[in-house]
Amino acid sequence: MTAVHDVDFTLEYPYTRSTGPIVGPWLTGLRDGRILGLRVGGRVVCPPVEYDPDTGVSTSPDDLTEVGPAGTVTAWTWVCAPTSKHPFAQPFAFAQIRLDGADTAMLHAVDAGDMAAMSTGMRVVARFRPERRGAVTDVYFVPGDEPPPPVEADPDAGSVETTEHLIGVRIREPLFPFRARFARGLLEGRILGQRSPADGKVHVPSRGYDALNRVAMGPEHDVEVADVGTVTSFTEIAPIQYHGQTETEPWIRCSVLLDSADTTVGGIDVRHIGVEEFRVGMRLRMVWKPEGERDVSAIENRWGGITGGVYERWEPTGEPDVDPELLKDHPF
Amino acid sequence: MAAASASSAAASAPDFPDIAVVATAQTPAHARYDGPEVHLIMDCVDQLLASTGLSRDGIDFTIAGSCDYLSGMPFAFVTNVDGMGAWPPVYESHVEMDGAWALFEAWLRLQVGDVDTAMVVGSGRSSPCNAREVFHLQADPYAVAPLGLDPDALAGIQARSLIDAGLASESDFAAVVARSRAAAAANPMAQVQASGAVAVADLLAEPYDMAPLRAHDVAPPADGAAAVIIATAERARELTDRPVWIRGIDHRIESHHPGLRDLTDSASVRTAAATLGIGPAAGGGGGGEGADPDGGGTAGLDVAELHVTHAHEEIILRSALGLDDSVEVNPSGGPLGGNPVMATGLIRVIEAADRIASGRARRAVAHASSGPALQQNLLCLLEGDG
Repeated sequence: MTAVHDVDFTLEYPYTRSTGPIVGPWLTGLRDGRILGLRVGGRVVCPPVEYDPDTGVSTSPDDLTEVGPAGTVTAWTWVCAPTSKHPFAQPFAFAQIRLDGADTAMLHAVDAGDMAAMSTGMRVVARFRPERRGAVTDVYFVPGDEPPPPVEADPDAGSVETTEHLIGVRIREPLFPFRARFARGLLEGRILGQRSPADGKVHVPSRGYDALNRVAMGPEHDVEVADVGTVTSFTEIAPIQYHGQTETEPWIRCSVLLDSADTTVGGIDVRHIGVEEFRVGMRLRMVWKPEGERDVSAIENRWGGITGGVYERWEPTGEPDVDPELLKDHPF
Repeated sequence: MAAASASSAAASAPDFPDIAVVATAQTPAHARYDGPEVHLIMDCVDQLLASTGLSRDGIDFTIAGSCDYLSGMPFAFVTNVDGMGAWPPVYESHVEMDGAWALFEAWLRLQVGDVDTAMVVGSGRSSPCNAREVFHLQADPYAVAPLGLDPDALAGIQARSLIDAGLASESDFAAVVARSRAAAAANPMAQVQASGAVAVADLLAEPYDMAPLRAHDVAPPADGAAAVIIATAERARELTDRPVWIRGIDHRIESHHPGLRDLTDSASVRTAAATLGIGPAAGGGGGGEGADPDGGGTAGLDVAELHVTHAHEEIILRSALGLDDSVEVNPSGGPLGGNPVMATGLIRVIEAADRIASGRARRAVAHASSGPALQQNLLCLLEGDG
């Protein structure tokens, strides 16, 4: 049986957040080597907050006050196996740290080397990273009281108005069984769909269930469909040159209702037919890449149908068009 | 709401319209389910329709709780509607929270009075990713999330706080795990089914993970789904002989800055419990001194199903709810026995309701939690007919 790949991708979003009147100065301070707390309700809280935790009343940047750089650990955990999101690759502590001059504890990381170096009530002190960008990760803590070396703040850097956080999650899993059969079929030159046990309609590519009738489908429902079909809709894409764009020329992206299928296959790219002659109802045939040159790596559990990695092109069959009226149940 | 209950919220539960859980369903907590989340949901919905005799279009309102970040796909929750049935078009809502919060919205929705039945689903697949690398995003986005400070890490800090305050020991954590695993062994839906008793001493011999927590102190993320149908009183009587009445649901939130919280206690659970007329303010959550044996709005709890994803949380929750030994805690094994993230809280309601429906309990509280270190807590008070 032809081997197929496992799913392995990282979904990332770069978040840029405005900082506002309290968090902005706090992050500016971290970038410039100072930690700020905020006087509110008769105490100093750090990290500073935009509202009084007890009353919800807005706080004022006038009440920001420098705290630390040393403080006392009020609680901690030793991270034996850091995740990819943690600030250190080696084991370290996350701790609640009540900085000198503050009345509440701030969560942060302590690079202590060994769990035995950690204890509740111990003293820790800030260290500012050489590269700082106005984020909470500009600083970390180490055991002791020794003040950090002076930080050279860039006088022209301005205040931190936004802070960036690239978030991401790595997804790793096998292709679901019905997706693996679909991908394997493409490698072997066959397009597999699934016939619903509820109404006999053929879904391609299948989601593993019939959404209309709410019925799961298994290998016993697999059927092979033709590599010939009818255009049901299309658009011409003029590639905008965004970062990472690989396309330079306009091309057609269309949906095709394959013969003997009841659902359309979307995302079919056509580059060998002019848009002036392209039309709904046109009959097309898929010209496969030679076996061994087909690539289904774009197929995932969540997306990916008849991927461009398996065909050379789609070409007109020369048959008469199908009456578009007969395709009106397939707007996509 | 009755004036009497408004004036003494701690003494009796508010007077809500009668709404009951009429059917429940859950999948096993799979360590890994290699198929679409829709299949898991479909399985639950099939069970619900079969047990009530309802057809899909006999349900007025549908709502789900799930997490797109966990699914690794924007708008995954829309795809999930396929599992509940999107045709004919449904009246549908979604919360990006555990299914217990979907139940809260459904319960509120039925109180409007224009619809009689609601289906509630919670679902998630955690296995494709490291859930810790998702849920740190719940934390404050400026001061905490960029540190990757995930719920397990904050749980470690909370556990340390308990130890430092003299309120618990690592042995106490291990005892929670041992008891949960023993109970989970009898639960066919559990993920962790110990072949025999787990000794506290053996658990304590395991290495630390987020010290002072060990790996077994943390509920193992699982793939799974759960669902319930709730109905207004008259409709509930038509659909089941054993309705389980929802006497109240209360949801309370604490600061997202853990430094502003007392991590050794749960102020939000205490407030929610008092609002529902249970907990220490009502004279204890069980049959102990001060409890009203008739359960007339005060205590008399038989069962508490608690959303304990880290062993030490059970100790905090028992204290905040005032549970004495007469109350059975997590007889299902709880989340430490199986934690299908985004369904785990709803499953607490299901486990409690199932015990009432089967006559093994008369009054129970189900607890769901969200956010790190019990930041958000929801209590659902359930009762049988008598």
